[in-house]
Amino acid sequence: MARLDIANVTKLFGATRAVDDFSITVTDGELVCLLGPSGSGKSTLLRMIGGFEKPTYGSMTIDGEEVIHLPPEKRPTGMVFQSHALWSHMNVFKNIAFGLKLRRLPKAEITQRVEAVLDLVGLKGFGERLTHQLSGGQQQRVALARSLVLEPKILLLDEPFASLDQHLRERLREEVRDIQQRLKITTLFVTHAQDEALSVADRIVVLRDGRTEQIAKPAEVYRTPATPFVAGFIGQMNLISGVVSEGEFGHSAFNVPVAVADGPATLAVRPEALTLKPASGVGMGHVHRVTDYGTHAMIDVELPDGERLKSMMPTADEWSSMQQVDLVPGAFALYRDNAAIYRADVGTPPRKAPSRTRGTVNA
Amino acid sequence: MSAAGGAVQAQPEPLDESETRRRPYGLLLVAAPVLLVGWLVIWPIVSAVIRTLWQPADDGGYEFTLETYVFFFSDRYSLDNLTVTLWTTGMCALFLLVICLPISLYLRFSVGRLPAYVQSLAIFPMFVPSIILAYAFIRVLGPNGMVDILLNAVGLPKIRTPYLTPWGPVIGLVWDNIPLTVLILLSGLGNVSNQAIEAARDVGARWLQVLWYIILPRIGNSILVALSFSVLGIFSSFTLPYVLGPAAPEMMGPFMQRTFRDVNDPQMAITQAVITFGFCIVFGLFYVRSVARNRGK
Repeated sequence: MARLDIANVTKLFGATRAVDDFSITVTDGELVCLLGPSGSGKSTLLRMIGGFEKPTYGSMTIDGEEVIHLPPEKRPTGMVFQSHALWSHMNVFKNIAFGLKLRRLPKAEITQRVEAVLDLVGLKGFGERLTHQLSGGQQQRVALARSLVLEPKILLLDEPFASLDQHLRERLREEVRDIQQRLKITTLFVTHAQDEALSVADRIVVLRDGRTEQIAKPAEVYRTPATPFVAGFIGQMNLISGVVSEGEFGHSAFNVPVAVADGPATLAVRPEALTLKPASGVGMGHVHRVTDYGTHAMIDVELPDGERLKSMMPTADEWSSMQQVDLVPGAFALYRDNAAIYRADVGTPPRKAPSRTRGTVNA
Repeated sequence: MSAAGGAVQAQPEPLDESETRRRPYGLLLVAAPVLLVGWLVIWPIVSAVIRTLWQPADDGGYEFTLETYVFFFSDRYSLDNLTVTLWTTGMCALFLLVICLPISLYLRFSVGRLPAYVQSLAIFPMFVPSIILAYAFIRVLGPNGMVDILLNAVGLPKIRTPYLTPWGPVIGLVWDNIPLTVLILLSGLGNVSNQAIEAARDVGARWLQVLWYIILPRIGNSILVALSFSVLGIFSSFTLPYVLGPAAPEMMGPFMQRTFRDVNDPQMAITQAVITFGFCIVFGLFYVRSVARNRGK
């Protein structure tokens, strides 16, 4: 168990800022997910913690000790790589025992610790196998065991399940979470898969272009995203551009009352918070497509200006293509200048925009 | 419905009968090169072995004899030549490994413009003919060569030149074989991923431990292949040992040529060639074994 403090860390590659003024404190036994699209700096950040890259500015301490000048072999961290990075000329036992052998531990202790960690990751009896005789999931478990056997203070996971199929990913991430909880090991987990982050993390750090967009608990990131980027990146989100005027967010198809100052804004509403009602006559939009997922239906609604919104409904039965519908947003948020300016837990039913507005917009 | 038990199911007819026939096209494609190898390589070897073992007898026929081999292995001069050839080959293999491995490691794990220049420099000897290299060597390291002139200019004594000593061919052959060795080692190092090395450092390995426990075991086959290729070429080399080496003892290449042309003893020259081939085939077998092992993996 350990505490990791990162303060104002910046990493420059030439003129490119891969990580820009990043700060976080990860407490004992916490699992923090670094989430972001490709090029957001999450892997660079993890590699800096592991000692494989040196920050250009900033400070990193583990249990109060500055580690920024320590090479990887002297840091109390253990890293699991995306490609497993197993040594194919060694069998499973030797892969895991390598770090212990370098520390000159007695043979008996090495054997006992390797057997214990193999048991922990569910690979008891696999010690003599060669790495190429293992499946992708088993190889990733060996990589995890190789890190865990050294009892690192901080465990670093760099997209460990990216090369595995969906089913295996789901199973392994649950296993990793269980192991992390049992060992109470402070963990940083890099992923670009939002479902992975939401399901395992104690906290999520959303990164974009090397900068922090939001650091919060998974539910908070999902329910109250701090920026339009987070809103769009985590889960599905309808983002509608419009203008606030005289206490109403106005769009060509509908107006929603909001208590914010006038000006341009972006309305964000999740498909599950956007309910549809069959319209009597001309509605706010029409159904473009109905997709039945069995557990729910996703209805694509096309607005008069051609913009499309998604609405999650319990069944697909009552919706059909070209059907006129009205929209009823539940919880929504309004963003301006990359920050949330208004949140509504239960939305006020929107008013259909006056026909002149629609006419003007559509002209 | 078929009767339960005992019913013999008919084999389904293949849709395309040609699928079950063996097509000879592949064999035809390799037939020409195989015949050429048989004619130009295998037959001369077999012929040479036969000619050294079955020699004309006094009665006009042929008799089995080991006379030329017995002479070679009991002749001090021939044994000295074989020894100097083995010594030169061994020294070259050692120097090639010591020189080319660091160059290859540098080229594999460095990025930027400088490694590109180093690589060009390392490959450069490949484009220089041996005879030009030999004369360049003489002009630089030979008596009153460039090094001597420079040393003299700053008031230092002359060097003991390696020209016409056993070290002359060693220097020339090492220089000549650097490109091939570097290229083969570099290709082997390409199979060692950055993450495999980072993983080793992550569990506590220092650079020398990474080299010893991770990199060298992974490129063992490449080292074997590189050394096999170099050794095969060096053992039977002619130009550089002929121009740069001592008159006696001499390497097997010049020795064979002199026995054949100057001494006018083709039978003995063929015997020397068969013995040289015998040593080379051992290195060849190392190479074949290494390739077969890789294929097996």
